[in-house]
Amino acid sequence: MNPLRIALTKGRLEKTTIELFEKIGYNCDEVKNKGRRLILPVGNNDFEVVLAKAADVITYVEHGVCDLGVVGKDTILENGTSFYELLDLGFGKCKFALATKKGYDFYGGYNTKTIATKYPNVTRAFFDDKNMDVRIIKIEGSVELAPLVGLSDGIVDIVETGSTLKANGLEVIEWVTDISARLIANTASLKLRKNEIEALQNKLEAATK
Amino acid sequence: MKKYLRITPEGTKDFLFAEASAMDDICGKIEKVFVSRGFQKVITPGIEFYDVFSIPCSGISQESMFKMVDNKGRLLVARPDSTLPIARMVSSRLKNSALPVRLYYKQAVYRNNPTLTGRRNELMQMGVELLGVKGLRADLEILSTAVKAISSVANDFRIELGHAEVFDALSKELDIDDDYKEKIRVSIEGKNYSALNNLLDRLEPCKAVSAIRSLPSLFGGEEVFTKAFEICEDTNAVEALDYLHKIYDSLIPLGLGDKLIIDLGLVQRNDYYTGIVFTGYINGIGDAVLSGGRYDDLLSVFDAPMGAAGFAIDTDAVTIKQLADSDVSYSDKPDVLIFAQDGYEIEGINLVSQLIEGGTKAEFSTLPTLEATKEFASKRGIAEVKVVG
Repeated sequence: MNPLRIALTKGRLEKTTIELFEKIGYNCDEVKNKGRRLILPVGNNDFEVVLAKAADVITYVEHGVCDLGVVGKDTILENGTSFYELLDLGFGKCKFALATKKGYDFYGGYNTKTIATKYPNVTRAFFDDKNMDVRIIKIEGSVELAPLVGLSDGIVDIVETGSTLKANGLEVIEWVTDISARLIANTASLKLRKNEIEALQNKLEAATK
Repeated sequence: MKKYLRITPEGTKDFLFAEASAMDDICGKIEKVFVSRGFQKVITPGIEFYDVFSIPCSGISQESMFKMVDNKGRLLVARPDSTLPIARMVSSRLKNSALPVRLYYKQAVYRNNPTLTGRRNELMQMGVELLGVKGLRADLEILSTAVKAISSVANDFRIELGHAEVFDALSKELDIDDDYKEKIRVSIEGKNYSALNNLLDRLEPCKAVSAIRSLPSLFGGEEVFTKAFEICEDTNAVEALDYLHKIYDSLIPLGLGDKLIIDLGLVQRNDYYTGIVFTGYINGIGDAVLSGGRYDDLLSVFDAPMGAAGFAIDTDAVTIKQLADSDVSYSDKPDVLIFAQDGYEIEGINLVSQLIEGGTKAEFSTLPTLEATKEFASKRGIAEVKVVG
C-alpha cells in the first residue's frame, strides 16, 4: 500500500509542522532540503508530504488524493466542506476580529453596514448569526485600507498581534473566533487506513499537549 | 451574445465508449444482485414538485436543487434524490399493495454544487428500498444486499455501521435547543473534536455529555461496543447499542471480517434516518460510494406511516475507479472492416452478419470508396479490411 500522503500548508505552518514531525521522531531532512520538489518523503518513507497553498490543502484532502492535511482554522472556516477535523495542533494561533476606525459606533444607526474582508464566508456567517444584513466587499490585499479610504464601515480579518490595526488607527470591536492549525483527514481514508492514521494522530496529540 | 454551444454545463460530462461500457458493466453487476434478491425496478420522473424535497427532514438544502417553474407557476426541481420520490410513489400508487415492497432504481440525481469544486452535478445512482417492514430481519436483508452489491464491483471495501438513535437518545438528555443539537451533530459528523469539546464544555457536565464527547472516536471493530456500553447509560441509547451489536454479530458469518466497521459517530445529515445507518467505502475513492439506513418516520410525512430502509450506490464513482484499475478492457474496435464494391452492398452486409454470428467483431464500411475505407481502418487501428465483390 502507498504511504500516507499529508498535505501541508506552505509557509509559516509548514515550518512548525515539520518541527512537530521531528519532535515525534520522523526524519524530515528531505522536506527541509526540498529544492523545487513538491512531493517529499518523510522518515523512512513512513509517509510523504505535499506542499500546497492553504485552500488547496483542503481541496486535496477533500478529493482524497491526500489522506491528511495540516491547515489553519481560518481556511477551514472560509473554504471547508466535507472532511474530518481530527486535531487542534495548537500552533499558528490568531483570531478573526471585527475592527473599525477607533471610536466608530459600528452598531449605531440604521443604515446597512459595509464590511471589507478577505474572508466573505466567515463574515457572512458571523453576521447571519446576528441576523444582521451587511454589504460584504471582497478585498484581496491589505484590508485595513478599506475603512480608512471610506470603502467600508469595518473589516473582518485575522489579527495576530494587533499592531497593524493600531498603526492605522483601527481597533477591534469584537472577536469572531479563535484560529489555530488543525489536522484534517479525508473521510474515506480515515475508514480505510484507520490504524495508521490513528497512530500518527495519537503521536501528534501527545506531542502538542 | 456568447453561445454555450459546444460545452456541457458545469458538473456534467459526456460518457464515451469505454466509460459508457464500464458504467453499463458496473450497473449490470449491481442490477443482477438486486434482481436476484427479488427487488423490482421503478423509474420516477426526472422532474418533481419542489414540495417533495422541501419537507423538514429531507436533508436536501434549497440551494442544492436545480429549480424550474411549470406553466401554472408551481416550483419544480430536477430530481435531487430518489428515496423521497419513491416514498411519494409508495404512499400513493402502492398504498394498497402487499407489504413489504422491494424496489430498486437506476437513475441520475441532480445537485447544484458550488462551482469549481470538481463535484459532479449529475450523478448516476443505483439503490434499493425495502418498504412496509421494520425489525432485525429487514435490516439484515438490506445490509446483506448492500454488502453483496458492493462486493460485486469491488474487492477492497469497508462498510461502516452506526445507529441514529444513539446520538438522538443521548442528546435528548441535554437541555439544548435544535440549533445547538445540530451544531453538536455537525461536529460529530466531521469528527471535529475541538469544536465538539467547545460546545460540550458550555453544558452542565453529566453522563450524556461525556458519552457524546466520545462518540466521534467510537469507531472500529467489536471493541467499540465494550467502550460504548461503559459510557452510555441512557436506556434508549443502550437499547440501540444492543440492537447494533446483534446486527454486527449476525453479519459476521457473511465473512466480512475487518471489512465491517462500527462507527457511532455516523450521524448523517439526512435526519430522516431513525435506526441503523451505514456507508460504504472503496479503496481509491475519497468519498463514500454507498450510503443508506432505516427511515421509519419518513413515510408518515406522506401520510402512509410504515417502516422503511434502503441505500444508494454512487455508480459513477465506482466506474471511475474501475476504469483507473482497468484490468478489464473495454475494446470498442472491430477486428475486421468489410468493404462492398458497388452492387454488392447486401452481400457485404450478409457477410458482416455471418462473421458476427461466428464470433468475429465485424463492421460494414459505410464509406463510398475502398481507399477511404483503408484510410479509416488505419486511423482507427483496425487490423483487416475485407472486400466483397
